[in-house]
Amino acid sequence: MELTTTWYLVLSVLMFSIGAVGLLVRRNPLVMFMCVELMLNAVNISFVAFGADLNDVGGQISVFFVLVVAAVEVVVGLALVVAITRRRSDANADDISVLRG
Amino acid sequence: MSDFLRSYLTVAIFGLVGFALVGAFLGLGRLLRPDKPNLAKTEAYESGVDPTGDMWSQSNIRYYIFALLFVMFDVEAVFIFPWAARLEAYEIFGLIEMAIFIFILLLGLLYAWRKGVLKWV
Amino acid sequence: MLALLAQQVPDFVRPDIDWHAAAPELTLLTFGALVTMMDIVWLEKGRKLTSIVASIGLLATMVPIITLAVDGADRSMFGGAFVVDDYALIMKAVFILTGYVVILLSTNYIAEGDYWENEYYGLLLSSILGMILMASARDLITIFVALELLSIPAYMLATWRKRDLKSNEAGMKYYLMGVFASAIMLYGMSLLYGGSGSTLLTDINESISGPGDPSAVVVLGIIFVIVGFAFKVSAVPFHTWAPDTYEGAPTPITAFLSVASKAAGFVALMNMLFVGFFGRDDVYEPVIWILAALSMTVGNLIALRQTNMVRLLAYSGVAQAGYMLAPLAVAGDVPDSALAATVGYLVIYAAMNLGAFAVVIAVARKTRTAEIDDYRGLFHWAPGLTVAMTVFLFALAGIPPLGGWWAKFRIMGAVIEANTAAGVVMGIFVAVNSVIALYYYARIGVKMWAEPAPDDDTAPVRVPVSLTSALVLTAAATIAFGVLPGLVGEVTKVSLLAGVGG
Repeated sequence: MELTTTWYLVLSVLMFSIGAVGLLVRRNPLVMFMCVELMLNAVNISFVAFGADLNDVGGQISVFFVLVVAAVEVVVGLALVVAITRRRSDANADDISVLRG
Repeated sequence: MSDFLRSYLTVAIFGLVGFALVGAFLGLGRLLRPDKPNLAKTEAYESGVDPTGDMWSQSNIRYYIFALLFVMFDVEAVFIFPWAARLEAYEIFGLIEMAIFIFILLLGLLYAWRKGVLKWV
Repeated sequence: MLALLAQQVPDFVRPDIDWHAAAPELTLLTFGALVTMMDIVWLEKGRKLTSIVASIGLLATMVPIITLAVDGADRSMFGGAFVVDDYALIMKAVFILTGYVVILLSTNYIAEGDYWENEYYGLLLSSILGMILMASARDLITIFVALELLSIPAYMLATWRKRDLKSNEAGMKYYLMGVFASAIMLYGMSLLYGGSGSTLLTDINESISGPGDPSAVVVLGIIFVIVGFAFKVSAVPFHTWAPDTYEGAPTPITAFLSVASKAAGFVALMNMLFVGFFGRDDVYEPVIWILAALSMTVGNLIALRQTNMVRLLAYSGVAQAGYMLAPLAVAGDVPDSALAATVGYLVIYAAMNLGAFAVVIAVARKTRTAEIDDYRGLFHWAPGLTVAMTVFLFALAGIPPLGGWWAKFRIMGAVIEANTAAGVVMGIFVAVNSVIALYYYARIGVKMWAEPAPDDDTAPVRVPVSLTSALVLTAAATIAFGVLPGLVGEVTKVSLLAGVGG
């Protein structure tokens, strides 16, 4: 059994689906951030796998940018949670529901 | 057995040897040492203050801010490594580009410092 | 991995930098850094100056855009990842002018509230920088970085009133939906990269637009990318964040999100459709068609029941996104007209929607709310605002001779010109929806003109100078676009995109 690109892509699909489902199902913002990270890392795996398969350096370069932007996104998200928890004792996406919708 | 699985066989053997070694040493110690149970020995600290409370405690929210700042600047460094690996090839052009990049990062750090985020209160 | 990188990269060739083409971005970046530096040096003492420096920065950015437009040549950098053509310049100008009007709207709103002011303008400038970069981006990575540069400051701006629960919720919802959308879009981009072997849109197009059926990877990639941008432009069924975020965010930021951020989503989508996916209309047209039809219908039907002005404008914005998507659903058949119709609509939509929000901000200075019932009898205490609001609402409804009518006319023209069953049905959708929309826009008009003011409170409202100038600018643009349709027609002429196959 050879470890081909397909296996990495299957792993990436699985990670992405777990992240996406988690983001939609879970209600704790911190867990939701983890799910976002999971989705973005699935993207990274897929970029690297394609890059290795195509023997092209572009896939690895993309990972650098995804990595940094993911970190920045999560930092902003955590900062929002910190801002909210300074007013409230715990952070829960369901508790934040003053608005309809 | 395929090549793929065979390469994992090495890993499995290493794992087994590792567990066996640890088990052997601990077991040997158990046989050799004197066995005199004492309540005081089961405490976390035999001397000093008794531990109180739950081991799960909330950390101050301030730690988050430091962690956030660290994560951001830490990750931005990923752009500096490839540049450093080929420093000569990029010559003065790369140097100026990186200087601009670091200058913008530095603005962020200066901003955090000026707003008193770096102070340990 | 780094050693591997070093081996694979051929000898470094210094890229030619066309400083003129990059001048708008560099100018705005300089002013953004300047605002931050002012904050670092003076802290709160710089409060008064930042909004002025920010608006000067935006006006200064217009200078290279105009000189580039006068020059007229298409410019391309970094192997085609950064392109300056007429289309990019028009959209850059729209973003800059929208940003300028948003600063006019913000000046008093932010200065009178208990908010950080310096960071507000710094973040606003970064977000606009992301938008003007997006107009030129013709590479997956560039598009992604531009999208995040414009979104991440917007998440923070939506949460700006941080002591207000509604604003917290607005920011949190916007953030979660935003990162979810960008993750989906990014996954689509990785599939496109895998299917074509390049991140450059022109290379992707070469590789995927050949005859025969596209591979499953490419189809999935295209759909994921479109879905990602559908969140950004708040198209149904990915619109759920919009009303809540619009209601909770500071109103000038709501105006910014509903105009500039939406336009940026469209710009990215059009870059993708007209450069990257060109010739693959068999894949993207049905997806866009469904999004357009759903957005118009659902947006308008829910807007009928709204009692809050901002939420009504949010749902009307969803419907407007549907109108703008409509020509893109026939983009494969009549690419030139479709592109011109959508760009034209974006320009006019920017003017009329910003104007409507300007009136909402002005009225809220007295009433402190945005309930539609508080607009009853507006004519008795603010006749000027009433006239302005009527102009903007009727323009949004598409009544001649205002700008919106002509924009909608162009959209009808494009979908009919396609001469396909899908195009004609889309035309019927646009027509029916325009009638539905007329009802709720006119209902507000009746409340403003015919009904008495609540409690007979007819004390006038003081509208500050900056807000007045924003109103005058947007109203003038809305009327001018309608009376002189040649104006936009000339500017948004066809074959704007450099390198479009058709």
